[in-house]
Order: sequence, then C-alpha cells, then structure tokens
Amino acid sequence: MNAIVEFGGFGELADWQAMLDRHREVFTEMDDGARIGIVSREASGILPGKHLEGVQRAAEVDMLAWEVQGGGMQAAIERFAGMATVKVDLLLVADAEALAAARAELAGNALTTIKKSIRRGNIMFFVFKNKAQLQDAGYEDFLESLGLAFLGACR
Amino acid sequence: MTEIVVTRPGEARLKDLFKPGKVGKFEVKNRIKYGACCVSNYNGRDGTITPRELARVRVIAGTGCGLITNQGAYPDPWGEGKAYFRQVAIHDDKFLPQFEMIARYIHDAGAVAMQQILHAGRYGGIDLGYCIQPSVVPQTLPHFRPPREMTKEQIAVTVQQHADAAKRAIRAGFDATEITSFMGYLLANFNSRFTNQRSDEYGGSVQNRGRFMRELIDAIKQATPDNPLSVRLNGAELMDKWGGNTQDESFELMQQAVDCGVDMISVTVGWQEAPESSFGRDVEPGYWNFLAEKAKKMFPNTLVAFGNRLPDPAMANQCVKDGSFDYWEICRPLLADPEMIHKAAEDRMEEVRPCIGSLNCLSRLFRDLPYTCTMNPMLGHEVEPEYHVTEATEKKRVMVIGAGPAGMEAAITARRRGHSVTVFDKNDKIGGNLAAYAGNDLARPADLQGVIDYYGVMAKKLGVEVRLNTEANAKFMRSVLHEYDACIVAAGARTDLESFKYMPGSELLIDALEVAHRRKTVGKRVVMVGGGAIGLTISEFLQKAGHEVTVVEKDKRVGGDIMPTFKWRHTAWVDELGIKTICSAQLLKVTAEGATVKTAKGEEVFVPCDNVIVSSPRRANHDLFYEFQWMIDELHGGGDATVPRGLDAAIQEGYKLGVRI
Repeated sequence: MNAIVEFGGFGELADWQAMLDRHREVFTEMDDGARIGIVSREASGILPGKHLEGVQRAAEVDMLAWEVQGGGMQAAIERFAGMATVKVDLLLVADAEALAAARAELAGNALTTIKKSIRRGNIMFFVFKNKAQLQDAGYEDFLESLGLAFLGACR
Repeated sequence: MTEIVVTRPGEARLKDLFKPGKVGKFEVKNRIKYGACCVSNYNGRDGTITPRELARVRVIAGTGCGLITNQGAYPDPWGEGKAYFRQVAIHDDKFLPQFEMIARYIHDAGAVAMQQILHAGRYGGIDLGYCIQPSVVPQTLPHFRPPREMTKEQIAVTVQQHADAAKRAIRAGFDATEITSFMGYLLANFNSRFTNQRSDEYGGSVQNRGRFMRELIDAIKQATPDNPLSVRLNGAELMDKWGGNTQDESFELMQQAVDCGVDMISVTVGWQEAPESSFGRDVEPGYWNFLAEKAKKMFPNTLVAFGNRLPDPAMANQCVKDGSFDYWEICRPLLADPEMIHKAAEDRMEEVRPCIGSLNCLSRLFRDLPYTCTMNPMLGHEVEPEYHVTEATEKKRVMVIGAGPAGMEAAITARRRGHSVTVFDKNDKIGGNLAAYAGNDLARPADLQGVIDYYGVMAKKLGVEVRLNTEANAKFMRSVLHEYDACIVAAGARTDLESFKYMPGSELLIDALEVAHRRKTVGKRVVMVGGGAIGLTISEFLQKAGHEVTVVEKDKRVGGDIMPTFKWRHTAWVDELGIKTICSAQLLKVTAEGATVKTAKGEEVFVPCDNVIVSSPRRANHDLFYEFQWMIDELHGGGDATVPRGLDAAIQEGYKLGVRI
C-alpha cells in the first residue's frame, strides 16, 4: 500500500478544519453526531463498477470524517473498512483529481469545488439514511449546498 | 393492413407519423405510442385503481395515439417493486376489473392496449424499509430505501411474478405488455455494471448481467405467446462515471433482448441518479435521437420506439420517414395538451398548449404528491365536474386586468364557456412578466415564449378582445362603468421598492422588472438584491452578456422559489458563469460607488458597483381590489395579484377562475 492509499490524499487536517469552520453556517442545523465521510476512490477500492469490493473490503484505509460536535463540524481521520461497517450518514468517494481540487480550495470555496466534482462524476456519493432521517438530522442545508437533493437525469 | 384514409390536412402533411403500423398481430392506426413515462400517484395505497385514475386514463385513451401504454404496475405482493406511494398494483386477480376497464377505454378509442410492468428495484420498496437489488450498492439519492441483495430464489420468484402480471394484463384485455428499465428500475439494476456486481451467473459479463432480462422475456413470452412484448432499455444510462454501462454495453443488452424475440425496443435515456439531465428545459429537442437511429440500424427487424426530448410531431414524422425509429413514444407533451395529436392531424399545431419541460410533474412525484402539470390545469382533476369547461348558465361580460398567464388563462377559459371577455393590459403586448422572464432565460427562451404565443393564438381564435396600452385604474374603471358584469384582477406582482424607502440611497435602486423588460440599462458592475427565480434569471443573462453581477440574498441559499427539478440548473449557472453570491445578507445602503450589505455575522461589506437592481421582495398588485370593489358586480383575483408565485400557480388559478365565473 503506497502513501497515497494510506493517507487517503487528504493533506493537512487543520486545513480541512479551517474550511469547515468558515462554512459553519451550512452545518448549524445539523444534530450532534451527524457524520459525513470522505474516502479516496483509489484507496478504498470503491471504483466505478466495483462498489461491491468497497462494500466487502476488509483492508482498512483512511477516511476523513466530519462529525457535528457541540454545534460545530469537526474533522478527523478515521479508519474505513468498507461500506458495510462504516458509521456515516453520507459517504463521498472522491477520485484523486477531486481530492486535489478540494485540497487546493480549502482556503477558498471548497464546498463549491466538491459540488462541481460531484456533478462531473469525480466524486460519487452514497447515502446511508433516507430523506426523512436526513431532514430530521438537519442535513437539508448541506444537501442543498452540494446540489444533492434532486440530482438526477429525470429532469 | 388497413388502408389509410386521409381525411385531415395534418395527416397528409405528417403522413409517415399517421400511417398505420403493426405490433405483433395487432394493427396500429398510427405510429404514435403513448409512453408510460410517469406514474400518476392517483391510486390507493394498496395499489387499487381510483376513479381519479380511471378518469385520467379516459383522457389518455382519447389522445389519438395508436398504441397506448398504461402506467407501470408493480408485480409483487410485498411492494418491493413499488416506486411511488400511490402506484397501481397488478400482483393479484382482485385488480382485474379495473384493468379491464382501462383496456376497454383504450380499445374503445381504437388503440392497441399495452400494460407496463414496473418493478422499481433500487427505487422500490417505497412503503418498506428496504429495496431489493442485484447487489448491495448504497443509494445516491436520499429519496430511496437502503438496499438488500436478491438471492437466486428471489430472482426466480420475481421473474415468475412478472410473467404472472403479464398474463393477468392479457386476461384483463390488454393486447401487449412492456417491461422497463427506465430510469434505473430493477431491470436496469441487473443490466448495469453500476448496480450489478454479483459474482454468480447473474453478474459479471454483459452476457451474465443480461440473464435476468432474458429470463424475464422468456417467461413473459411463454406466459403470453400470442401477445407482443416491449422492453424499455437505456441507449445511454448517463452513469458512465459511476461505473455504469457504456453505450456499447447498452446496445449489447438490446441485442440480447432482440435475440430473445422481444417485439419492440423502446429506447430511453438516463437514470434518476445520473449527474446530467436528459429531458429538462436545457436539453435541445432531438438531442438524443441518435440513440434511436443507432438502435434501428442495429435491429432493422425489430420495432423501435423513441421519444426522449422529442416533443414535436413534425420532427417525429421526419424521424419515422428517415427510418430512425418506428414509433414516436410520447407522454409529457400529451400531459400538457391531451389534444395535441388531434391538433397535429388537423394542422392546428399553433393551438397546442406546449409542454415547457418544467418537470413540475416530477417535482411533485419526488414530493410523494400526485402529479400535476404547469401547463394543463385539468390534469389530475378530470374526475371533478367543477374542473370541466361547461357552458355558462348566465353569459356575462367579463373584464380581465392583466394579460399575463393568469389573466390570459382566465380569459380563454371564460370565453370557452360563452362569456364575452375583454383583456386589458398596460403593456404593448401580452405575456406580462413572463415575456420579460422568457427574454432573459438561458435555457430555452422559445419554450416560455411558446406559452405566450399559445395564449395569443387562442385569444384570437376564441374571440377574446385584447386591449393593450390600457392601464386599469379607478379613472379607467369609471369610464367603463356598467359595461362589465365581472372583473378578474390578474395584474401580477411588482417589485416592492417601498420596503427600501427609508434606506440611504433608495432613490438609486432599479426595479428588476424594468431591466428584464429592457426598459432600463445598467452599468458593468451590478448588485442584484434577491436570488430567487427573477433575480437569478436576470443575473445570469447580465453576467453572460459581460456584466459582473453580485447577488445579495436574505435567505441562506439562492433559488429558494425555483422548482426543485430546475433549481440545480440555476445554481449550476451561478457557478459556471462566476456570479458572486452573498447569502444571509441584507442591503444597508447604496451610493454612486456601490452597495453596503450586512452579512449574517453582522459584518458590513461594501460591494463596488455601478447599479443596484432589486428583484425581491415582490408585492401582489392588490391595490385594484380596493379601488374596484364598489364599481363592479363581481370582483375576482388570481395569480401573482393574490400571492406572488410561479407560472404553474398563475395558470392553475386563471383556469379555476375561468371555469367558475
């Protein structure tokens, strides 16, 4: 396993935390314990067309976890051992290009960059709670800010 | 084969579309297939068909399509295949009587009846806490349920349920059946690499992934050997970047279906969760036709139906003539105007109520509501006599103030009931603020202008008098005193500049509607106050024209009043065009040098600009109600003149006033 795989390509945790602090208003409605995970597509093995490997994967890789604690979103590096065991509400699976683009914008508007990467298909996302649960947990602003709520070709 | 008798001018002009065809042993009067593209959500929670649905189906039967596909019914008793709360079911004989009625309605209209069997797979189990799929691929849209992997036993049971459902449909009197992968349902889940990652004989290679489809086709063909079977398959999933099928794989799957003896391939585009749009307002009509052409070239001996983003009969006629496909598959334009085929046959296309691709229908479905149509206020209300246009008992002289969509809809509806109707508008053309909106629309201005053109044509045809350049006020009202029995105030809404009256620099503010109507021009750097539909549309137009726009919005996000199915498009334009946004902010002060805004954090931010345009808040033009209330027998109001909203509310309310007055 090479360094990119081991560290997920996330860069400095403090930079992510600073970005989350700057976008505090997006997360203000979210309940304590609401969690979002970001993993590297290449590291996790959740490659397009091979998600099952991601579901069943036993080998652990790094996951950047965002968790609401005490009214703010806190960033941490955790271990990811596949979709079956991951404890997040929403999982973003970013390819190397998307992670690099987001890292480059951490001092700017990283959420917009993430949104663009989702639209381009460089970030895949998976939801582990249904719409009502996510709404109850206060995800509406965040989902809207990433344009996830109604993303779909049926439009 | 029945010999075609051309009796209507449009049939002669569009002769390829109106020539007869054949599906299996059944003769079809023309080359138009009503596509089961939407589930109405009008039925019982247990899958029973309601009178509301039956009334709607009668309208569908009368559209003039030669082949009519009834909306998808789920085939399993547990509801794993159920995609919508009020989707119709076909898993039991107890449902037969109502399907028999539907088949009869279709036959009475001279059409061939096809029943779609819809197992939603990944998008199913809407009443359950789970959905079933070939593999446990988590959802990407929060609307849907967590997945469970199907066992081989479950696959066998599901195949049998489809065969039983098909047999049931034929027993009910349907001539043909259809299975569907549109747009990401169970069949698509097996076919696609994205959702099928099984390692048994149902997964892996395209051949293996297509096994479920081949078993479905075989089972249905064995159960109903004398009846045609159509299969809806993606020409493009638009899921490539998520690991979905390539176009080549999609066509390989079509080949498998053809080899299994399917009678018709209905080519479709996209999945619900695909990151690009397939038939919204931003997609050019005809954009996807190449997929049908490719299918027809590959499968010359199998019928091909197609209709994604193909709303125009003339274009469809050309496609049939060119051999691009055999049947034009159409649904949404017939939601907007169920008479469209007849109008095309009579060469009256200018009288067609156009589908503008707003996808209000889908916005409603994704809110678990019955679908309605922005353009067709009758849709879903066919069962209610109150919504029908009937001759007025007492013919009235009706004045309508405002030639926007609400006023024009009220005018033509009232006129159809026999009232004498005059529309007054202060502008020099009809359309109201919709005309200004269309002029700034980056998607397809022709769609919105088409609405105005339709009202112009119908007003003229029906004999509605339109007096332009006439401002309605108390003095005007006194001049026409006793000439009218009823007045409908549909004067729209205005920008509420008064709410900025005490703000320093308020005299420098420019009304967004003045800019939208091109009555005022602005400098290079612009601040737009209000990031709703009007503010964004004008901002996008200005930014594209070379201005530098900053949108100041009081809410947390822009686009709050935009229909969900199109909000993504506006937010994408904001990003793509580089429009700056300052949300949770309010305008504090305007000077010749720029605008000062206060952010949610309480900070004051100065934005240098040449002009400040205000698009929000909006205020209903209520004033006329108070001025006119003692001057006319009946006074009514509708559209933005009551509460500022969107086009759908304007048309719905205009219609409701027209049928009641």
